[in-house]
Amino acid sequence: MSTVVTQNGLQLHTSGPLAALGRVGAVVGNTLREAGRAKLFYGLLGAAVMLLGFSLVLSDLALVDQKARLVQSFGMAVVPLVCVGTAILMGALLLHKEIDRKTLYAILPKPIARGEFIAGKLIGLCALLIFELVALALVWWAVLSLRGGHMTGAIVRGLGLHAIELVLVTSIAVFFSALTRPVLSGLLTAGVFVVGRVTYLITEFLAARKGLFVEVPAMRALGKALVVAVPDLSTFAVTDPILQGWDVPWSYCLSASLYGLCWALAFAVGAVLLFQRRDFT
Amino acid sequence: MNDSAAAHDDTILALDGLAKTFRVGFWGRPVPALRGVSLTMRRGESLGYLGPNGSGKTTSIKCIVGLIQASAGKVSLFGGDPGEAQRRARVGYLPESPYFYDYLTPVEVLEYVGKLYGMGARDRAQRSKMLLGQVGLEHAARRPLRGFSKGMLQRVGIAQSLLADPDLLIWDEPLSGLDPMGRKEVRDLMASLRADGKSLFFSSHVLSDIETLCDAVCILDRGEAVAQGRLSELLRSEELESEALVDLPSSDGRAAVLANLADLPGANLTDLPSGIRLLLPTAQVPELMRLLLEAGGTIRELSQRRDSLEELFLRKAVRRGEGAA
Repeated sequence: MSTVVTQNGLQLHTSGPLAALGRVGAVVGNTLREAGRAKLFYGLLGAAVMLLGFSLVLSDLALVDQKARLVQSFGMAVVPLVCVGTAILMGALLLHKEIDRKTLYAILPKPIARGEFIAGKLIGLCALLIFELVALALVWWAVLSLRGGHMTGAIVRGLGLHAIELVLVTSIAVFFSALTRPVLSGLLTAGVFVVGRVTYLITEFLAARKGLFVEVPAMRALGKALVVAVPDLSTFAVTDPILQGWDVPWSYCLSASLYGLCWALAFAVGAVLLFQRRDFT
Repeated sequence: MNDSAAAHDDTILALDGLAKTFRVGFWGRPVPALRGVSLTMRRGESLGYLGPNGSGKTTSIKCIVGLIQASAGKVSLFGGDPGEAQRRARVGYLPESPYFYDYLTPVEVLEYVGKLYGMGARDRAQRSKMLLGQVGLEHAARRPLRGFSKGMLQRVGIAQSLLADPDLLIWDEPLSGLDPMGRKEVRDLMASLRADGKSLFFSSHVLSDIETLCDAVCILDRGEAVAQGRLSELLRSEELESEALVDLPSSDGRAAVLANLADLPGANLTDLPSGIRLLLPTAQVPELMRLLLEAGGTIRELSQRRDSLEELFLRKAVRRGEGAA
């Protein structure tokens, strides 16, 4: 690590991986602090807790041996959905708030690369979302226990895959956040999320003998482009197999995680490239 | 860092034909904000950056600190690329009307900034305490910024720009938002920073502050540097005018001498009760002396006339604008 020594003998560690980690860490800390104060975060967290509590009431309507299953199904739907919603909304606002409030005007001229700043913001938000996922999973577990259910290894691995999906969705949100205004970036991220969840369907339509994606050349081109450009988010949606009692093997989790993290990295690099070109007037 | 070139040259900041054109509107209409600004700043120098609103001062400052990318031209900081972390670590930047995270306290802002500069924990704590005292914020050191006035935020901004003991301070309108007492304190701080050998590059609308604090100025108008150099040289009247207060003997020939003086090329004569005041090109001073010698008159005062910064600014920037209109 090379050091700059100032006129009055102050040592500034500005170069090298450790110094870069220190700067990213500082941005992560501040992002966590900022995001942890966001009313939006607590609103969504509160709504999810209420929904999980509501599943307790709803399970009373189910047959005796189906109560735990209902709470399980409900949790499998609510927990990832709320976390993805948080990722889209907070990811879309992540950079916009810094630009709108001009807080980054005092930060970017410091010896921090724009890539380090984006990395810090992204890691900070991902950490908060994983905290949200874990907190909701614990609430869900408590509710499930009240109905005689339990967390299986498959459910835990399924939640792990959702954590990877959250990292990927956050990267997509930050990518669009570096490109455009928050409403549009939120809509684009939501769009990519929806398309990503049905990419496997588009692939099936393209492989079919007839249909819109086969007969209309423009739709065929669009379908092919979407399959290539949008990550297949159905990779992380393992709710149905789990509810049907199937296992989620570690090997699948590993390959799916690798797939998700590669896409997340690609979007993060894209966000950095866009952010580096931006003027802050 | 290889700063050998900078060390020999002593140039810490150089702009070479810096230009910036913004694209505005749906069709991306080009709007030039900077048109080839070049300037050089040497170590220990204090440079005032002047110009009317919209002349490109903040745009060029943002190009220097990397918030805006120049369309053309080059910025050199300490003899090299301003994008390098080691060079940026030697710069303290104060944005115009600085904004910080309003949930942080001044101590937390400085802690965060100190980490970005790669300062150790002990240095961060010591420097924070010292600087918050220096800018008069020790009483509010642990209060969230959301309750701060504009002047208090400006002081936080000054403190964060000084945290890493930078060699070069780039301050955009450092005196804005401050009350008279605050302005005096910041002026005193700037004077002491100069005395400590820091280089100061700052923009201001307050010409008297620039005249007091700067060795050199650069006047910007509609994106162009219309005047720059050492203040002492720029303020010397361009026509090298002299001002003389002369006494003439009260004799019959007085009227004729007065007529001769008035006939000196470029002279402007005013007959005052205290004497005769003459404004004339410095080149005519020997002729004036010859005429007075012949007439038996005396020179009571003779001085080289010096523009004020305000006159220079009006001539270079404002009147240029009127001429163009």
